[in-house]
Amino acid sequence: MSPRRARSGGLIDRGRAISFTFDGKAYTGHAGDTLASALLANGVTLFGRSFKYHRPRGVYTAGVDEPNALVTVLKDGVREPNIPATLLEIHDGLEADSQNRFPSLDFDLNAVNQLGGPLFSAGFYYKTFMGPVMGPLKGTRFWMFCEHFIRRAAGLGRAGYEKDPARYERMNAFCDVLVIGSGPAGLMAAEAAALAGKRVILAEQEPRLGGTANWSGETIGGVSAADWAEAMAEKLAAMDNVRLLARTTVWGYYDGNNLAALERVADHLATAPRGLPRHRHWSIRAAKVVLATGALERPIVFPGNDRPGVMLAGAAMRYANEFGVLPGERIAVFTNNDSAYRAAAALRKAGAAIVAIIDVRQDISAAARKLAEEAGVAPLTGHAVVGTAGKRLAKISAQRFDAATGRLSGDVRPIEVDCLAVSGGWSPAIHLASQAGGSPVWDEKLSAFLPPEPTQDWLGAGALTGAATTAEALSAGRRAGSAAVGAEAPSSALPEAASPTLDPFPAPVFEIKAKGKAFVDLQHDVTADDIRLAHREGFVSVEHLKRYTTLGMATDQGKTSNVPGLAIMAEARGLPIDRVGATRFRPPFAPVSIGSLAAETHRHLKPDRLTPMHDWHVERGGRMMPAGLWHRPMIYGELGETVEQAYIREAAAVRRSVGICDVSTLGKIAVKGPDAAEFLDRVYTNVFSTLPIGKARYGLMLREDGIVLDDGTTWRLGEHDFLMTTTTANAGKVMQHLEYLLDIVWPELRVHLTSVTDQWAGASVAGPNARKVLEACITGTGLDDAALPFMGIVHGAIDDVPVMICRLSFSGELAYEVYCGAGHGLHVWEALVEAGAPYGIVPYGLEALGTLRIEKGHVTGAEMDGRTTARDLYLDWMLSKKKPFVGSALMDREGLIDRNRIRLVGLISLDGQPLGGGAHIVEKGSLDDLGASIGHVTAFCYSPALQKYIGLALVKGGKARHGTRAFVSDPLRRRFGPVEIVSHHFFDPEGRRMHG
Amino acid sequence: MLISCPYCGPRDLSEFSYQGDASRMRPDAASTDIKAWHDYVYNRPNPAGPHREYWQHTAGCRAHLIVTRDTLTHEIHEVTFARAALRAVGGRP
Amino acid sequence: MAERLSPLGAAFRPGMHGGPGAGPGVRLSEVTPPSIMEATAWPGRKGALAEAISAVTGLSLSARPNAGAVSAEASAFSIAPERFLVCGGAELPARLAAAITIETGTVVDLSHGRTALRIAGPRAEWVLSKLFAVDVAPAAFPVAEARATSHHEIFAQIQRTGPDQFDIFVFRSFARAFWTMLCDAAEEVGYEAAG
Repeated sequence: MSPRRARSGGLIDRGRAISFTFDGKAYTGHAGDTLASALLANGVTLFGRSFKYHRPRGVYTAGVDEPNALVTVLKDGVREPNIPATLLEIHDGLEADSQNRFPSLDFDLNAVNQLGGPLFSAGFYYKTFMGPVMGPLKGTRFWMFCEHFIRRAAGLGRAGYEKDPARYERMNAFCDVLVIGSGPAGLMAAEAAALAGKRVILAEQEPRLGGTANWSGETIGGVSAADWAEAMAEKLAAMDNVRLLARTTVWGYYDGNNLAALERVADHLATAPRGLPRHRHWSIRAAKVVLATGALERPIVFPGNDRPGVMLAGAAMRYANEFGVLPGERIAVFTNNDSAYRAAAALRKAGAAIVAIIDVRQDISAAARKLAEEAGVAPLTGHAVVGTAGKRLAKISAQRFDAATGRLSGDVRPIEVDCLAVSGGWSPAIHLASQAGGSPVWDEKLSAFLPPEPTQDWLGAGALTGAATTAEALSAGRRAGSAAVGAEAPSSALPEAASPTLDPFPAPVFEIKAKGKAFVDLQHDVTADDIRLAHREGFVSVEHLKRYTTLGMATDQGKTSNVPGLAIMAEARGLPIDRVGATRFRPPFAPVSIGSLAAETHRHLKPDRLTPMHDWHVERGGRMMPAGLWHRPMIYGELGETVEQAYIREAAAVRRSVGICDVSTLGKIAVKGPDAAEFLDRVYTNVFSTLPIGKARYGLMLREDGIVLDDGTTWRLGEHDFLMTTTTANAGKVMQHLEYLLDIVWPELRVHLTSVTDQWAGASVAGPNARKVLEACITGTGLDDAALPFMGIVHGAIDDVPVMICRLSFSGELAYEVYCGAGHGLHVWEALVEAGAPYGIVPYGLEALGTLRIEKGHVTGAEMDGRTTARDLYLDWMLSKKKPFVGSALMDREGLIDRNRIRLVGLISLDGQPLGGGAHIVEKGSLDDLGASIGHVTAFCYSPALQKYIGLALVKGGKARHGTRAFVSDPLRRRFGPVEIVSHHFFDPEGRRMHG
Repeated sequence: MLISCPYCGPRDLSEFSYQGDASRMRPDAASTDIKAWHDYVYNRPNPAGPHREYWQHTAGCRAHLIVTRDTLTHEIHEVTFARAALRAVGGRP
Repeated sequence: MAERLSPLGAAFRPGMHGGPGAGPGVRLSEVTPPSIMEATAWPGRKGALAEAISAVTGLSLSARPNAGAVSAEASAFSIAPERFLVCGGAELPARLAAAITIETGTVVDLSHGRTALRIAGPRAEWVLSKLFAVDVAPAAFPVAEARATSHHEIFAQIQRTGPDQFDIFVFRSFARAFWTMLCDAAEEVGYEAAG
């Protein structure tokens, strides 16, 4: 058995030994131990080095409030820093390392930092490194020089670089009542709500349900409190309507009674079963919340209060009672309230010697005196601890103390101890209540903030509301649980709890002022003097104080330091504490793994959206690229081809014979109803009501402000039946735009919209031989100009699959879009490829598609960029003058018809080099003086038809510059060269090929 | 934040898209009153307190809703179907 | 005529996967029916539309929000204030189009546009709760009812077709991605992918 482990007592399983390492050294503990309790049991008191001064630090608490004992856990090759040893359950093979020490925890070179104390005082960074360079030792440049050393010397754990292989998940939960905290109040609340038949979730951050019952040493209902809690947990677990979530920290309380929680599902397991997430992010929607979050003990601030061996009294008691571990053999207690006397009695009972109880108060309650007797020591009242000594605590010194004036007097008395248990009173854990809304209320007698009046649906119970005894917690818990579900309280008698009748009110003593560093925020190394310095320098707002000194900003978020820090600030300002004000608590209550927030998107960030022909493209060497969520072939590369060679080959094949392209990604919207034609007239700039059945028309849509929204063809399939196509990128946006207009602007129109993008597979067959390819495989329709004129639609079948064919062209060639049910898409595609084989049909990707359209001067999203008007793109021929449409009222505003706007032109590279997308167009040919930009390149390619590098651009004045010369300037890509500005209709401007 | 969709029930904010101020009035389609169009497209009162807004339940039933929301507290006072409400007043908000 | 291909491709791996080993927690399968039609009523005509659908399918469909009905041959459920999804055999599109006149509403054929994925088994609610922020407890989400919601970018219409069985309708282009996510979420409890 370990040196500090009691032979009996506690809730650990002495029959199960667990092996782990700390800083590479092997230790054993027991099932039920945390890393902190197991190391304490092994006599380890040094857990880490402090943030700035590298002072040795021990474990200070036994729970979520731990500021000091942060370790790095090494698991599966991943380092996870800053885990409180007090929350880390040990398991076989656990590897943990201490932090912020070099070269070792025991001997740390940077401990020299503490000798230069003032160097790292409040605002150190701002004072030393901000502002202009004034000599060698100040300013931002000096910071850049020092940063490396300071970053290494100051800080917490170091994060790893390895990819985290763990699984994280999200879980959505709904309940009538969420009970947070499973101490006596929480258990009673959960039981009362569950007995009423309601859906209850009980969340407990620790592995074991029961809260204080696990270490209070009290009896509840005639049995030990821990046994009572275990029986209650079993009873609740057996109920269908209750979900118990242990190891689950509720860390956020949001609007609408939405709460966020982190469940540590597998951290405590040596090996997690496949599929089990490491952490689960719970998003809980609760009709009511019962907050039974208890209270956190706070320290008294005094010089040397950070020495390993100093810890909170309640934590010392918890180690003894729950883990059977003595944090020391010669223990002194220092307190301003009665609760520490219970710790003294419990530690004595567990086998430690209590060498002194030092109490700042002159008078103490009879119950406290009785506990002191049990502890075997006469309290030293009216005294305070003024210093500590020893690398590990060996000695404390006490002096007479007047609680009313804060004055010390008399001789300094040394007392030899190896542990000092400190209590400065209790602060209700109001974090979640404060997150829910409202301002905390300062209670003078309790010297503590109580939760605000609820502005959301929650009730509080137990120590959170200032209840001092277990009996109060039990009855308040039951009341809250019943009230939360609007039921009568259960008729059974409340379990009886026997607690000593202690004085619940502490003396309002927060700090003992004596010589030496007295720490308020142990984790960020903020001292009482730092706070006073900040005050002298003019930081009076508590929010400024916090940021300037970084008090309460570390991973523990000041759980132990908040109230002492405020009290010291209040004293410095000469104000009562409630006038200084509290900072608002924000989520998260405790650190949350980033993996849990990413949850299931951790591995697949965005879903892949695939066309019916996707696998075919991949098998044929299609190099896929993202287009929104879609995956589309960029090129179909042949062996040894560059991208440019591939698209030139593909585009040339289309112009020469025939090509086939997957256009399934185009947005498709079914527009149906008696008012469908009228609706289209209002949303498109041109007229659709005159479109005959069986014909398609190119349409342009504007936004209300007159800017181009999208373009596409719309097909009339019936009197009340249209099929609208949109660009791939804008399908969702256009759908929303149309839905808005129908719901809000013209609710009287009888039109229904349905997204049918996924219903249809689409293949564009383009090139001089396109008709021959179709004729080789189509049945049920003719394809000659009479049966299928330009922009006509026919229905037929390919290999017995029904298809709909529209003759329209994006490439400028004779071209057809062939649509069929998506589930038949691959089949029809393969039939078309087979039919095209005699003509050398070539599948072409986005690069070739882009090349063909640039040659034709067709615009896409690169030109319809949310800033251009129809006139800018020379599409004003599409603006109907016969009817109003969306955007018609504002499209002619002064700024939108300015002759100096950038408008669409074509560019030809004059030096035989490619043009860069996004490159600016300038008029001057000297690199030393480029002059102002007159526009930019929106798209470029090598044109196999023209045998030149060409591009589209938006250039000031547009058409007026045709035939002039300019330069492209692209300094990022070191490209500068001459271009000729021409019409954007490079190829076959009369459109003879597509009509042919 | 939750919005209680009158069709789907209370859903998380992430299922909805904000679609603008519901107090604006679109001028008659043929109106050439540029100021009125400007007010419709650009000018917003941005009140501190109750505010009528359009929200679309894009990840649910896709209906547009009129949500009366307090911009100071996020409290939602009322949610109705926009189309039904606007049909009742003849549309053209 | 050619067979309608499943969008799942190689992502569909039949057999048992994951889990602690004591039998699958859920069974996952693709159950896209021969026909999926979307039917939408004009304002005030939802009752008439529900009647027309009931007459064609033999279902007893109500116009209540989220209402649905299931039989061996057909199913239907409401997905929006005036809108239903109707599933059935190959003859459904023609019969529905004939039964729903332009005075009642419109119908759109989505037989190829939506893919139905079924999750069934004792842990179906648990796995579904990983992906969707809707309350799937039986009291909140009874058999035959439906919910329209989404998993991030993937829009989903879900009908509860049994006490521990849900049919999830997703856009076909997302089906493979969603199936992969569904399998991944089910790995904890173990799943059988079945045809």
